[in-house]
Amino acid sequence: MTFAPYITPWSRRLAFWLCLLASGLAVPLDLDAVTLPELLENPRLNAKKFAGYFGDYAYEFNEAIQPAPVFLAREKGDCDDYAVLADFVLKKHGFDTRLIHVRLTGRVAHAVCYVMENKAYLDYNNRAVFFTLAHAGPDIRAIAAKVADSLESSWTTASEFSYSYESRRKLMIATISKTGEAVEPPSSVPGKSDPFNVD
Amino acid sequence: MSTENSPPPVAADPTMRRVLACFGLILAVLGLVVAVSLNNLNRTVATSDWVNHTHALITELDVLQPTLAAAEGGLSRYLLTADQRDHTAYQDKFAELGEHTDVAIALTAGTPAEQQQFQQIALLLAKRADVASRIIHFKKAGDTAALQQLLNEDAEKYDHRELAQLIEKFRSAQTDLLSARDRTLYLQAQTTRWTVLTGLGLDFLLLCGAAWLIRDALAARTLANRLLQQTNAQLEEKVNQRTAELSASNAQLAAQSLEDRWSKQALEHQNRYNLLIIDSIADAVFVVTKLLNVSRLNPAAIHLTGLEPVELIDKPLARVLALEGGKDPAKPNFDPLARTLAEGHELRDKAGLLTTKGGQSVPVRLSFYPLRDRDKVVGGVVILQHSAPAHP
Repeated sequence: MTFAPYITPWSRRLAFWLCLLASGLAVPLDLDAVTLPELLENPRLNAKKFAGYFGDYAYEFNEAIQPAPVFLAREKGDCDDYAVLADFVLKKHGFDTRLIHVRLTGRVAHAVCYVMENKAYLDYNNRAVFFTLAHAGPDIRAIAAKVADSLESSWTTASEFSYSYESRRKLMIATISKTGEAVEPPSSVPGKSDPFNVD
Repeated sequence: MSTENSPPPVAADPTMRRVLACFGLILAVLGLVVAVSLNNLNRTVATSDWVNHTHALITELDVLQPTLAAAEGGLSRYLLTADQRDHTAYQDKFAELGEHTDVAIALTAGTPAEQQQFQQIALLLAKRADVASRIIHFKKAGDTAALQQLLNEDAEKYDHRELAQLIEKFRSAQTDLLSARDRTLYLQAQTTRWTVLTGLGLDFLLLCGAAWLIRDALAARTLANRLLQQTNAQLEEKVNQRTAELSASNAQLAAQSLEDRWSKQALEHQNRYNLLIIDSIADAVFVVTKLLNVSRLNPAAIHLTGLEPVELIDKPLARVLALEGGKDPAKPNFDPLARTLAEGHELRDKAGLLTTKGGQSVPVRLSFYPLRDRDKVVGGVVILQHSAPAHP
């Protein structure tokens, strides 16, 4: 018995796309915990693929940002861990990324990693959904508004910051308030001495 | 032309115009309410942002002193223990203090007075961080004397109450501001509420007005319809009455017409009977008009004269008949028959001469009777009898 008469170019194309779709859905589910070297050495890694590794990760709030290997090994963490790791990995792959910290009404805050090439940000809350990238303008205000909308809340201030795994230190680059203009505290500009960086 | 059959132009209904105007007003009020409410809502959102802003600033102010205390406490612990975990702890707390300060600076950036006021607090906090840096520097350098001197100087100079007073003063101002902004928010919410309620009330009144107009128009139309029905009923009654009268008149006329026909037939019958009577008389009978022209004659007269009726009808009787001795040479125009007719007298058995068709004079005995119609002489009847020739 042969299937040759039933294999048309159209059915072959359909089978190809179905396989592609199945593989795309299956890959992040079937993988074991990814490691930092794997992320850094994957030549075809981009923001979307990066997010695909975190679909199964659990949420766990930590006061301090976890070191990247710890976060990847435990497969649990919070928005800071995810955003800082995304910033670290994607920067290594040549992407222009920014870390944005949004403070909402009350003592709630959220951090995301904005990827300039994608004009979108990576959000730990979107790790398990199909659209892992949320599109927003590059302005801190636009990003903060989009983040606040996604959390159905109002934002008060937002900061762009950098983080170093080595020094385990956050550096504020710019902080704005929703009602005011952007402010760049001289004390927080990277490269300058931070009076609160007691060392 | 087609225009002859086209309906007359409908006059604009004023009630319809008023109702439409009412609904237009209702829509305008609704539009106004929506516009004002949206504007109020935007202002409320903006005010709410300011309330959140003030809340956030107060929150940042509230954590400054505890964070500084925790950082300095951690530093003291590190100085005592030299433990790396204590080192990391105070560093993290100072970094946290820096972040709170940055956030507070950002929150006060829009208001110069607040900015200036907070600048003093930020300066004091930065000084505390600078002292901590210097302490750590001496600690790492192992310069115990310099470290001790710095600690002593700091203990003498630093008065934490100054920072507490500044923060408390600033916080108190922010609390007042929060109350004011919250009141503004409340008033804006009230304005929105009153705008919506007033708009709804106006719309309700306008709807009531429109309903009243419609009800009034319907009542007027019902009344007009009832009057029209009454008028129609009256007209219908009159038409029925008139129709009955006409029917009765028609029946009467039909009966009268029948009677007339019967009367006419009776008259014709009587006339024919009279003519038969006249025709059956053996004596010559001439019926004459008031002017003594022959209007009718019987067969005996035709036989006696030998003339056809056509030759005698409407001709003077004198053409064929004359009274014997009736001509007076002194009065040539005197006609005794005419005189008799005019006076309404009768003549009986008078001698006369009849001129026949052949021109012969035939002696006749003549009787003349005037014809009366309601006491007026309208003609006469002449009866001739052939008189026998006188025997010698």
